[in-house]
Amino acid sequence: MITLQQVSRVYRRGADEVHALEQINLAIPDGTFVALMGPSGSGKSTLLSLIAGLDQPSSGNVAINGQMLSGLSEDQLAAWRAAHVGFVFQFYNLIPVLSAAENVEVPLLLTRLSKAARRQHVETALQIVGLADRQHHRPNQLSGGEQQRVAIARAVVVDPDLLVADEPTGDLDAKNADDILDLLRRLKNEFHKTIVMVTHDPRAERYVDQTFHLDKGVLVKKEE
Amino acid sequence: MPIPLKYNLRNLMVRKMTTLATAGGIALVVLVTILLLSLVTGLRQMLVSAGSPNTLIAMRKGATSDVMSFVTRDAVQALRYLPGVAQTAEGEPLVSPEFIKQPLLPTKDGGKEMVLVRGITPVGFLVHDRVRFVAGRAPRPAVREAVVGIAASRRYQGLGLGETLSFDERSWTIVGIFSADGAAFESEVWLDVGDLFKDGTAAGCSGVRFVIPPGTDREALIRRIAEDPRISLAARSEIDYYEEQAEGAKALYLLTMLLAIIMGTGAVFGAMNTMFAAVTHRTAEIGTLRALGFSRRSILTSFVAESVCLSLLGYVLGVVLGIAAVALVNQLMHGVAFQLASFSTAVVTLRVSPEILLLALGLAFLMGIVGGFFPARHAARLRVTEALRRA
Repeated sequence: MITLQQVSRVYRRGADEVHALEQINLAIPDGTFVALMGPSGSGKSTLLSLIAGLDQPSSGNVAINGQMLSGLSEDQLAAWRAAHVGFVFQFYNLIPVLSAAENVEVPLLLTRLSKAARRQHVETALQIVGLADRQHHRPNQLSGGEQQRVAIARAVVVDPDLLVADEPTGDLDAKNADDILDLLRRLKNEFHKTIVMVTHDPRAERYVDQTFHLDKGVLVKKEE
Repeated sequence: MPIPLKYNLRNLMVRKMTTLATAGGIALVVLVTILLLSLVTGLRQMLVSAGSPNTLIAMRKGATSDVMSFVTRDAVQALRYLPGVAQTAEGEPLVSPEFIKQPLLPTKDGGKEMVLVRGITPVGFLVHDRVRFVAGRAPRPAVREAVVGIAASRRYQGLGLGETLSFDERSWTIVGIFSADGAAFESEVWLDVGDLFKDGTAAGCSGVRFVIPPGTDREALIRRIAEDPRISLAARSEIDYYEEQAEGAKALYLLTMLLAIIMGTGAVFGAMNTMFAAVTHRTAEIGTLRALGFSRRSILTSFVAESVCLSLLGYVLGVVLGIAAVALVNQLMHGVAFQLASFSTAVVTLRVSPEILLLALGLAFLMGIVGGFFPARHAARLRVTEALRRA
């Protein structure tokens, strides 16, 4: 369960204060596929960063499966992310000099798994996203859709409870966007992942369980 | 587990030209360091290795080298029978009166240089116990035969085995080529002291080398040689004598290190520039790695490691170039000619030692660490959310 209580995030920009999020209260049950939507600058990416443990709120509490993220040090947060969160980004953020399999292996380097076990996990993850036959290709040898599927394999390879996706279809054509949303939906259904996705893509609403709309840092609407 | 090194190595390979240019700068520093230090080492080897702790040199008081010295025959005779001087098994004192001349001889590349010609007696070869004949044999007295040091033989015209050496309107047949552990003697010509003079006699000599048995009170003997009115010479051990001659090498060593530090600083800025560019280019990757759970320390270590790899590549290039340059100088230029305090020429063979390679490695490593640290720290301090926005 993801729980946010009275969460605000204020940035300082010179002498000005920017209120990116104000008094957000949110509860997302386990195994739910959630979309965060809203216009640019509405605070949805900031909210995603707080849920993923990439940033800390200025006030309020963020708890993921009972773990309070507020008060954790940078290193503690990094260790928590490594074990519990998988990331999917708009521009895939694959490491260009590593092959698909090596990219998927990166999060496993932070575990105690042996090389053989890591290889096994990587193969499984690539099979889930349907790219087992492309594992030796570098990112520049893959299409956008394939790169995003490699990124999803990297996100699930450590079997995290939570997947966060920031505009995962933002750089893809309609066909690939549908494939990626379908894959995320399948991860939720078959592997019981909790998925929080920031998106502008209206077709996302067909795939998610809930949509939260934000505007000017405030949660304005929730759709089931 | 840290970020794997292959990530860094492949990034270096992707940026081939930048990597090569930066490694080239480091290689240049390594090359110059190796070249200059091998020159210093060769120079020190030439001067210092000539010395033996049990061999003493007696010269006129105040003389800093035997070229400036004169020792009378009476003083030589008195020295020969001084208690504390070693003898051969046959009772011959190990005392070598030596006379120095410095004729101008033609070099193989067409120049002319002053060469030290040392007139010695047969016992001289016993006193100079590190002299080894690499070809031929020792000269016989009174038949105009000469032997030549291996460096002189390579550098000057007409000093090969069987060739004829001419100066002062006389000539000598070269009957032997000798080595002397790289010492300055290798740049000299040796012949019978009597043959040096047209009438076969000399009023004295330039200096006297003599051997003392191990355990002799050297300082007491040196005092006695100075105070004995029949001798009245300044004696010192060969080691001390050549240490004084090697003072110039110390200055050269300092100059070399200074030059290496100045060039190294330039190379550090080059490496830093490259690594800052790498960090800027890979900000989104850094953000991704941090998001996936790698710590700031992992990022710092990874970028420093990349910089060190860059410097090690430069080191390898520099060592290859440095060793080739040293071989080139030794083979094609027959070593580097140095004018000694005595105005004669000594040929220095450049010597690359493991210590030099280790020192150059240390220098390259330092350039990598310093050049990589600040960009790496910058990378490690990036805020994850901001770094991810640069994708």
